[in-house]
Amino acid sequence: MNSLITIWANRRINPAALVLWGLAAAFVAYTFVSGGYLIAVLHFALIYTVFVTGLNIFMGFTGQVSFGHNAFAAISGYTSAVLTATYNWDPLPAGLLGLAGALTCALIVGYPVLRLRGHYLAMATLAIGLIVYEVAVQWDSVTKGYMGISGIAPLGIGRFTVVSDRALLIFLVIVAGLSLLSAAGIRRSRLGRAFVAIAGSEDAARALGIDVARYKLIAFLISAGYAAIAGTLFVHAVGFVSPEVFGLPMVVLSFTMLYVGGIGTIGGAALGAIVISALPESFRTFKDYQDLAYGAALIAILIYAPRGMASLPALWTKWRQRVAA
Amino acid sequence: MFDLVAQSIISGIGVGAIYGLIGIGFCVIYNASGIVNFAQGAFVMLGGMLTQGAMARLGLPLPLAAILAIALVAGSGIVLERIVVRPLWNRGSTMFVMILATLAAQIVIERITLIVGGDQPRTLPVFTDLPPLRIFGFAVNFQFLWIVGCSALIIVLLGLFFSSTKTGKAMRACSINRDAAALQGIPVSRMLALAFAISAALGAVAGILITPTQYTAFNVGVPFAISGFIAAIVGGFGRPLGAFAGGILLGVAQALAIVYLGAASKNVAALSILLLFLFVRPTGILGSAK
Repeated sequence: MNSLITIWANRRINPAALVLWGLAAAFVAYTFVSGGYLIAVLHFALIYTVFVTGLNIFMGFTGQVSFGHNAFAAISGYTSAVLTATYNWDPLPAGLLGLAGALTCALIVGYPVLRLRGHYLAMATLAIGLIVYEVAVQWDSVTKGYMGISGIAPLGIGRFTVVSDRALLIFLVIVAGLSLLSAAGIRRSRLGRAFVAIAGSEDAARALGIDVARYKLIAFLISAGYAAIAGTLFVHAVGFVSPEVFGLPMVVLSFTMLYVGGIGTIGGAALGAIVISALPESFRTFKDYQDLAYGAALIAILIYAPRGMASLPALWTKWRQRVAA
Repeated sequence: MFDLVAQSIISGIGVGAIYGLIGIGFCVIYNASGIVNFAQGAFVMLGGMLTQGAMARLGLPLPLAAILAIALVAGSGIVLERIVVRPLWNRGSTMFVMILATLAAQIVIERITLIVGGDQPRTLPVFTDLPPLRIFGFAVNFQFLWIVGCSALIIVLLGLFFSSTKTGKAMRACSINRDAAALQGIPVSRMLALAFAISAALGAVAGILITPTQYTAFNVGVPFAISGFIAAIVGGFGRPLGAFAGGILLGVAQALAIVYLGAASKNVAALSILLLFLFVRPTGILGSAK
């Protein structure tokens, strides 16, 4: 795979990969210097990087399907939002409790859900996402329904808070970087190899002595953890949460990012999140056109480039080989 | 209390028949291809919206507007099959990619409708504007009779189509074994397009029948698709009659949930029934077709 890690491991630098990462780094640097509205766009992209990385572990590595990871982002995000805004907790313990809550829910639903396959699995996860959305809408006394909760405290520990846009950008770059590195670490570990074996063939993995049900559950929990962290980051970075934040469009958006970047690759999550957040900026004032563009882009990618942008370096290598031969 | 419950069961049967029709739409495509079309809700929405549009903008009477809308929606089903499903199908894409692509298509259709038609909810006049009938002391409105009558008629016609026409038999052959069907000279790919057209038309009919009792807007599709899917799961995926029975069960269960738990519980009740079936008996009441 074309992750940074493998590039280092191979000691051979692929020019196309270098160009992609150079562009991404240049964009981050430019945004940091120029500031303004682009910074908010990049915040959004980096938070989604964490979410999509989690999705990638469950779907790209392990070959499973989930249309419901927005549920875990919502559970964690709302827990953290309510505790900080209504009960004046610090963001850190509130976020940790949100993460614990999301993981507990993932454990409870994960066991029965992961026995399903194909469209049953897709629909069960979709239903979980929709149920959490309904609860967020209907549980007025806690979530304030469609109105949403505003005035959520910024991220920070005690007196140290991340308030300025640039400080938040640096913090989110670090978090997103850590999430990519940890995903790369998981991929190269015994755990990651078991995930990939399950994606290849469940029967073959079982024959090799891999406890398929257990490893699927582990992959589900890990990815739910990433989703929960992304949810918490989102509510504190924006300072506002409503059910719409974690609705069905979030699912389609994150899949678009995953496929644009390249499902199953490490860096794809970041590339997809940045490209998809930055490109339709010109559409952003027209919310309706934006969702239309995301949906159409996703269909086009699924049809014409199912392996996404992260496959460009591999295509480059193949082209070079063909030219050399 | 008894009157209220009985009355809401009646309305539940009406809504349930609609879910059943949408569920049959899922089954028709699934049987022909193994694809679960998550854009099914778009057809329901388009059925109601196009009929309303044809009446308001072209001044057509209701029956003509409805026929025009059904034809247009069936055409849009074929367009969806050609543009989105066919390329993925030819490449042998995974089931998940197909679901994702049709879900994205659902959102694209929804957003185009929003841009063209605006976000105002619309409604249709009731088909027969007479006061409700009293049957054994319960009020039964004419729209309920239209819904139940049309659904029953459609099921009979579909049954005849699949059992006694050559095309219908060919479609069934495809659902049993696609390769063998192709070897018999059945144009499998045309059957897939036809399945999308039938399924889209079923969705459109459901959307037109239900709109006078509720309202329609660009975003009603997904909830209807989910209800139709639940109906199909409850009845055993791939069994059209099962899907219809499942739809009526779901409609009644939802109506009872509204009576006992309040209107807000409607969607959660439906989704809980879905999860219950998926976890305990994913093959549905009748057992899955495959």
